Amino acid sequence: MVPFVHGGARNIVDWLATKLTEHGHQVETVLLPHIDHPDVLFDQMAAFRWVDLSAADRLICFRPPAHHVPHDNKVLWFIHHIRRFYDLWGASYFPDSDTTQLTGLRDALVAADNAALGEARHVFTNSRIVSDRLATYNGVDSEVLYPPLFDPSAYQPVERNDEIVAVCRLEHHKRQHLLVEAMAHTTTPVTLRLCGTGNSGYVEQLRDTIACTALADRVILDDRWIDDDEKVNVVNRCLAAAYVPENEDSYGYPSLEAAHAAKAVLTTTDSGGVPELITDGENGFIAEPTPEALADAMDQLYLDRVRTERMGEANRERVGELQIDWDHVIERILA
Amino acid sequence: MNVLIVNNMAPFVWGGAEELAVHLKRNLELADVSAEILRIPFQWEPTAGITAQMLLCRRLELTNVDRVIALKFPAYLIRHHEKVIWCLHQFRQAYDMFDPAAPDPAMVANDAELLRAIATADAEAFGEAKAIFTNSPVTADRLRRFNSIDGQVLYPPVNDPERFGGGEAEGYIFAGGRVNSMKRQHLLLEALAFTPPSVRLVIAGPPEGASTADDLAARAEELGVADRVTLDLRLLDRDELAEWVNGASACAYLPRDEDSLGYVAMEAATAGKALITTADAGGVLGLVDPGVTGWVTEPSPEALAEAMAASAADPRATRRRGLAARERWNAFDITWPRTVERLLA
Repeated sequence: MVPFVHGGARNIVDWLATKLTEHGHQVETVLLPHIDHPDVLFDQMAAFRWVDLSAADRLICFRPPAHHVPHDNKVLWFIHHIRRFYDLWGASYFPDSDTTQLTGLRDALVAADNAALGEARHVFTNSRIVSDRLATYNGVDSEVLYPPLFDPSAYQPVERNDEIVAVCRLEHHKRQHLLVEAMAHTTTPVTLRLCGTGNSGYVEQLRDTIACTALADRVILDDRWIDDDEKVNVVNRCLAAAYVPENEDSYGYPSLEAAHAAKAVLTTTDSGGVPELITDGENGFIAEPTPEALADAMDQLYLDRVRTERMGEANRERVGELQIDWDHVIERILA
Repeated sequence: MNVLIVNNMAPFVWGGAEELAVHLKRNLELADVSAEILRIPFQWEPTAGITAQMLLCRRLELTNVDRVIALKFPAYLIRHHEKVIWCLHQFRQAYDMFDPAAPDPAMVANDAELLRAIATADAEAFGEAKAIFTNSPVTADRLRRFNSIDGQVLYPPVNDPERFGGGEAEGYIFAGGRVNSMKRQHLLLEALAFTPPSVRLVIAGPPEGASTADDLAARAEELGVADRVTLDLRLLDRDELAEWVNGASACAYLPRDEDSLGYVAMEAATAGKALITTADAGGVLGLVDPGVTGWVTEPSPEALAEAMAASAADPRATRRRGLAARERWNAFDITWPRTVERLLA
């Protein structure tokens, strides 16, 4: 973890701790800081290796390098690698990857990770994508254990208005701009609501696009923190949800919230993990990542409301098929 | 400003230091500072693992933190350019609890090398700290004696003073805190036997040791005071505890040579209750001025009985001593706002 940075990765830990406690187990959460700078990669790995948690009967490890903590009875709920040395190797924001030094570090890291992964009695992941990476990079078999919402019961299809909603951080890689640009191409009165806090430069850019395309009456940009009640209210009343990130690891909490509220999800072919939940035409639409294709899907959602509702209901059923619930998680993780 | 409180943790163990960290966080937030607690696992047995765990603390990388407030060994070994140490205690087994004439068998295997490593690490950690505070004069004295380091005394405040507003005396002497032989609740029972039948006693707190609770109950029967004593031997929640304190006529606390003022005495004084203690109680004596804020007696049943009887005999005088105890406590100016201010200076 990084001190004072909160997000999905901490939620999954806190929620699991709460659920385990509710199931009558005694739980302690250990959060240790980590930075992924190459110069201190192995120093920190050594530190984690020296952590003594033998007083616990079972250890559940999440983010790297937590899986290096030694324990006789350790399971991993692996949610990502140290990505710059794995799936983001050579990515544009790490331009100097291919030096002898970094290649050597990478090889040593993979060897150490392989050893630590091998110590675990079972390896779970949060998505097919992460499981595939473990197989590809580490030759390790794993079981997908989808992270549930903490309390999905508030999500219900209260009504189906004319809004497509996207509730998540406003960031370039979440690509709310694609949705705004798509709105300019729609031919129906469908509306778009974007909710979330985010990068101020990106929010300005979104605001400018909305102004330039004269969409102010059909696009609502609510750039602030909204609490759970407000979020539930927006999702429960919408027509459908949109979640169009660029190459994410998992289906994302917004897709799951929509599914619990029996709402169809609009996503893109390059979104990464969303298609693990969404099948095109069954419980949502998977469009090409272009404004035109997204606009077409938005119009269809608006026009064929019977189908949209049916896809929403199918999405709720999909959650059950994938066993995205805490009882399943706890049964598997303590097995 | 992001302030990281750094403390040790042992899985499934919760005590005074953990409680202090939580209240420090809460009070930092009340001062509009964002605060988080980092709990670094530490197991001091087997001792062969201590060096590695010292290195573990040393090797952790912190980002996004403007100030560290570190509380214990080895957590305070963590590196940070704005580190303040509020030392609750060092690794006492290496210092004042280490007796070369009668070495702890657990320490023998590790010889002088481990002790030297601990002293060296301490010197380095304290040397790089921006400020050094200790929780009591005793801790400060040890730091000076063993490490030649000066620390300023910064007493931990009462965590929840708002609960201890005081109240009408309901005619009992209250003895709170952990129940064990060092806190000498048995001495109070023995004293009770020497007091007039109108004197009543309440002992409440978590018993330590398997037979402590049964032993006390049996002793009360044996002494014939069972009908005048209430034994509420469990971990009380804070509201229950405060209710006992607020309704007491006086509070008794007899630890053997305590390091600090002691939460039990601090809470009693906050509630405006007169204090009964013994001359060998250590830090507690800082709050008890005999004849003014309470009674200080020899640690014998007879002497204690005299004080207990006196506190019951003249409720108005006892009330006056209680108010004086509160005044004495307030004069220390040990409050969370003041504490936070000093830690952030």
